[in-house]
Amino acid sequence: MALFEIFDPAASPKPIGIDLGTTHSIVARMRDGKPTPITNCDLESLVPSAVFYDERGQVIVGREALRMASSHPRETIVSVKRLIGRGADDEETKRLGTFEFVAPTTDEEARTVRLRVGADRVVGPVEVSAEILKALKQLAEDELRSVGGAVITVPAYFDDAQRQATKDAGRLAGLEVLRLLNEPTAAALAYGLDKKKDGLFAVYDLGGGTFDITILLLDGGVFQVKSTGGNSALGGDDMDRALAEILLAAMQAQAIDKDTTAGRELVRLALDAARQAKHALTKEAAIDLELPVRGGGQTSVRITREQFEELIAPIVARTGRSCRRALRDAGVNADQLDGVILVGGSTRVPYVRNYVQEIFGQEPLADIDPDLVVAMGAAVQADVLAGGEDRAGEILLLDVLPLSLGLGTMGGVVEKVLPRNTTIPAGARQVFTTYADKQTGFDLHIVQGERELVQDCRSLARFTLKGIPPMAAGMARLEVTFRVDADGLLTVSAKELTTGIEQEVEVEPSYGLSDEQVEQMLLEALDHGEQDLDTRRLVERRVEAERIVSATRRALEEDPGLLQDGERDTIEQAMSTLSEAIAGTSPGAILTGIETLDETSKAFAGRRMDRAIAHAIAGRGVDEVDETVSHARGVEAHVAEHEARRSSPAASHEGNT
Amino acid sequence: MSVDPFRTLGIDPRFDLDLEALDTRHRDLSAALHPDRYTTKPANERRMALDRAINVNTAWRQLRDPVQRAERLLEHHGIAISETTAPKASPTLLMEMMEVREELSEAKQARDLDRIGKLGQSMSAKEAEVLEALRLGFVSAAGDVNTLRTLLPTLGELRYLKRFFEEVEAIEEQLLD
Repeated sequence: MALFEIFDPAASPKPIGIDLGTTHSIVARMRDGKPTPITNCDLESLVPSAVFYDERGQVIVGREALRMASSHPRETIVSVKRLIGRGADDEETKRLGTFEFVAPTTDEEARTVRLRVGADRVVGPVEVSAEILKALKQLAEDELRSVGGAVITVPAYFDDAQRQATKDAGRLAGLEVLRLLNEPTAAALAYGLDKKKDGLFAVYDLGGGTFDITILLLDGGVFQVKSTGGNSALGGDDMDRALAEILLAAMQAQAIDKDTTAGRELVRLALDAARQAKHALTKEAAIDLELPVRGGGQTSVRITREQFEELIAPIVARTGRSCRRALRDAGVNADQLDGVILVGGSTRVPYVRNYVQEIFGQEPLADIDPDLVVAMGAAVQADVLAGGEDRAGEILLLDVLPLSLGLGTMGGVVEKVLPRNTTIPAGARQVFTTYADKQTGFDLHIVQGERELVQDCRSLARFTLKGIPPMAAGMARLEVTFRVDADGLLTVSAKELTTGIEQEVEVEPSYGLSDEQVEQMLLEALDHGEQDLDTRRLVERRVEAERIVSATRRALEEDPGLLQDGERDTIEQAMSTLSEAIAGTSPGAILTGIETLDETSKAFAGRRMDRAIAHAIAGRGVDEVDETVSHARGVEAHVAEHEARRSSPAASHEGNT
Repeated sequence: MSVDPFRTLGIDPRFDLDLEALDTRHRDLSAALHPDRYTTKPANERRMALDRAINVNTAWRQLRDPVQRAERLLEHHGIAISETTAPKASPTLLMEMMEVREELSEAKQARDLDRIGKLGQSMSAKEAEVLEALRLGFVSAAGDVNTLRTLLPTLGELRYLKRFFEEVEAIEEQLLD
């Protein structure tokens, strides 16, 4: 079987799951129905999340890059996940480290962290992450030949900017990102499928740089997240830093200028020694470290487990607060949990395990490798989303929004639009009115976080609504719709209610890259510039169009009974027009074809949707639904509602954060 | 939100919902409409499913919350609801709430988590009474609009209590951190 796969010249694209970790990244895929991490030629599946930029502009990723870290501490970027989606002035840039952060000169530059990795080379976290993703894609291609879509995992507690930046990195790496999946949910998925045990679980995920706690209910293939909490800047790295400060003191190097090459090398050395000590202390009671002394000579430092535990106690205690809050948000007591699942390399530290046991009052489960379990869950989900296995019908992930979304008001107070732990996809509508005569524009400031004041929350974006018809103050009524999709990403659209005119929404993200910047990066990533971008657009559009044609064909085959007189002919015709456009070379013609097919098959799609709802309402596991549909309560109501909705203009799906 | 959550979820409009059945219905509808189920479907189905999945989640969220459930139920019977037009709660309640709030802020100052917990408990007992009164009110009104209107002050009480609990939660969170 495996041999056949390797030598199959026309291998079909296969979906992959990626755990893009702070310290390590892993790519996994389904193999004989089981999630399996992909290994390199040395049979390693953990790829260090390290990227080295050499003098000639070459990029090296993984273990080889990590080897360069001690001699090239500035040019070797590690733990980039701690920086993704953050602004140039973020606290993260001020911690002990070896990077040279470039001060922003414009507002646009201030929206993202920038790192100098060479005399004339500055990169951002999205680009660095994209390099890691490219390496993983290559690793997957070596084994699968052709890679389809990818599910990329993110910490559950990642905010909108961090999620968007991760998705941008995926695009930049040339991946089709099927979904951003929360890491604890991915772990629960791998775990639940393996153990086949239902119940209420807590997933305690302490990685290299991020901490998540998720409470979820497993019930017959449905993974329903009840609450989530955490800290996207808390993990094993902080343990390393705490210990490294002590080592630097022993090296008589605490007062070094960390912005010099020599200083950076010492810091790197201390951080590496600290990590080694941390690993050793999971088994040993003490470890002796041989360290160089600044200015010459060597010193021996003994670190005991007790000492280490005292050092990390405050770090670990911070996870406890999140755990208690998550339990409370879920409305459960620790003793109601059927299990506590450990995820992330940092849960190997005995002190952490004991702490978890204390908080939840039960011994945590760690029988799936805590380093691999997330990638395995991502592989399962990628397979489900690609429509591969029959599994698709069995598994359902219902995740939540990790942090409240709100609007900044005039007084600087946040008005919550969607509270944290709202099940996604989620939406909310708010109606605003103009405050001046003939006002044609409106500004909205969207923030994320739990604090009362705008300044204490994370600014996500400013939305400017334009094109409001001039009216007297208070006459125009703007309905703003917020939607959070299954990736946890926000989009905003607006409509003027008295005229029904769709408003143009201009988005200025507070952090990260604008759509144009991502486009520009994609362009630069190509060797031959404009022409290639056009080719790429054409290819992408063809793929999209082909998908729509085959999906529509399948729908026609599945539900001939839902077609009305003549409808099949119109749809078939739109399909063949689109197929002709696909054979041609005009991206515009393909787009028009897609839109026409979309329009002609809309009513049919609506009927399929109503039927799906009727099925769901008629009850679980009913195969002969057509007979029961007519008896199901509320079906007529749904059809009526659908008709009503169709007669009013649909809200726009455009507008992007 | 103009969409009737009872219709969206296809369940009988009543105050004393079987919450387990509500959760089951939400899950069944999610299984049918979640975006994960539509990744290989035509784009228009994907969009429609997303819209409806959002509506289902919104409806579920509203009906799980007693205050919003009561509001939506009154709207279902044609009674327009907005915080500003609803009749104010009784003066007795307002006095009572003021006293409890004062006690809460004193306890907060003293960082007395025990006392805050006890206050929360006593108000939970109160909440149970109000919920029962609403339940009986909705049953006996049997859809009669004028009788339903008399429930508005009770609903007002429930709103006050909800806000009180939110405050308790925020304070507890703050003190625990």
